[in-house]
Amino acid sequence: MDRREIENLIARVALKDRAAFDMLYDQVSAKLFGVCLRVLSKRAAAEDAMQDTFVKIWNNADRYQSNGLSPMTWLITIARNTSIDRLRARKSGHQDIDTPGLELSAPGPSPEQAAVAGSEAKRLIGCLDALEPDRALAVRGAYLDGQSYADLADRFNVPLNTMRTWLRRGLIALRECMSQ
Amino acid sequence: MTAPQEIPPEDDAFLAAEYALGLSEGEDLANARFKLANDRQFAIKVAAWQESFARLTDDIAPVKPPRKIKKKLLKDLFPKQQVPLLERLWVWKGISFAAIGLLAYLAIPMLRPAPPEVQVPILAAQLKGQAGPLELLAIVEAGSNEVGLRRVAGAAPKGRVLELWAILPEQPPLSLGVLPQAEVMRIALPDVLSGQLGQVTLAITDEPIGGAPGGSPTGEIRALGALEEI
Repeated sequence: MDRREIENLIARVALKDRAAFDMLYDQVSAKLFGVCLRVLSKRAAAEDAMQDTFVKIWNNADRYQSNGLSPMTWLITIARNTSIDRLRARKSGHQDIDTPGLELSAPGPSPEQAAVAGSEAKRLIGCLDALEPDRALAVRGAYLDGQSYADLADRFNVPLNTMRTWLRRGLIALRECMSQ
Repeated sequence: MTAPQEIPPEDDAFLAAEYALGLSEGEDLANARFKLANDRQFAIKVAAWQESFARLTDDIAPVKPPRKIKKKLLKDLFPKQQVPLLERLWVWKGISFAAIGLLAYLAIPMLRPAPPEVQVPILAAQLKGQAGPLELLAIVEAGSNEVGLRRVAGAAPKGRVLELWAILPEQPPLSLGVLPQAEVMRIALPDVLSGQLGQVTLAITDEPIGGAPGGSPTGEIRALGALEEI
């Protein structure tokens, strides 16, 4: 998918251009549905999450410019966060994950900073593979399965604080690896 | 919101990663949200992590969604055909003088059978949501103890009800009760609001059937609008 094209479509959706919304849907819905399905496993839940995702895209496209994310990252992050909110919704005391850019009033990265973030991001998978396997699994578990600290501590059978320390070290190592 | 604490920079990088992963809870989450809105460096860190973590979806294969999703989505988002034209006029975009006159004319029957002779200030709000198509209009006479509501678009999510809240500055939301399914409804206002109506923001959340347990909102904010004199 062409980045410029998606960016243009989002810009037009921000102006409430329904034809652009239609085209954007056709271009990206399969990828986003794949993400929703990966997180939620169940088809019906994934369909609902997809619908919510596109409602958020329609309503918040005007905030896209300010958040400095690449267009596909913005769309995928909304789909992922919406799916995880759905996954966690049954747990009591759950607070929704924010739609990226919604909560943002501080200006985001400049185009140069965004470009650096983009080239660092490409190293994520390689750097994740270089981490201790359990830590890499924990990062994936949090991102793709919406696992909380408590879930992760259960899964790896360690105390909650140990889990937090693990993940913290893992993320710091990841940051260092990606910025090299 | 919890007052943010001073955080050393190395913790800050971790807070950003934690937030992007959706692991922040409680005070950390409040801190992260506050910093995101106020601290550009922090916002950049979060964006960089979001950019990186999104790569975890690179090997997720696209799956063509069933056609019905798009159909339903477009119907939900653009329900224009279902709402009569006259009621679309209630959407107070770019309010003109004529529109205010028309609005007052249309609004009065919601409050009383005949137009008032005495000039009582009227307050109104358009309640709209960021996450969905729900849209309501609220109108209340200054000093009155009930608010008239008209549903323009949207409905409660399946298996949930819509609950109306009045929010005064610096105060927790006050429940005004679960909304009936009707298109036009009147909801009683507690005495504590009288005299402060101009400061009231009305909000609608979705809640479990029977309304929010414990008297505080638990669901997502579906629509929001501040009362203003018209």
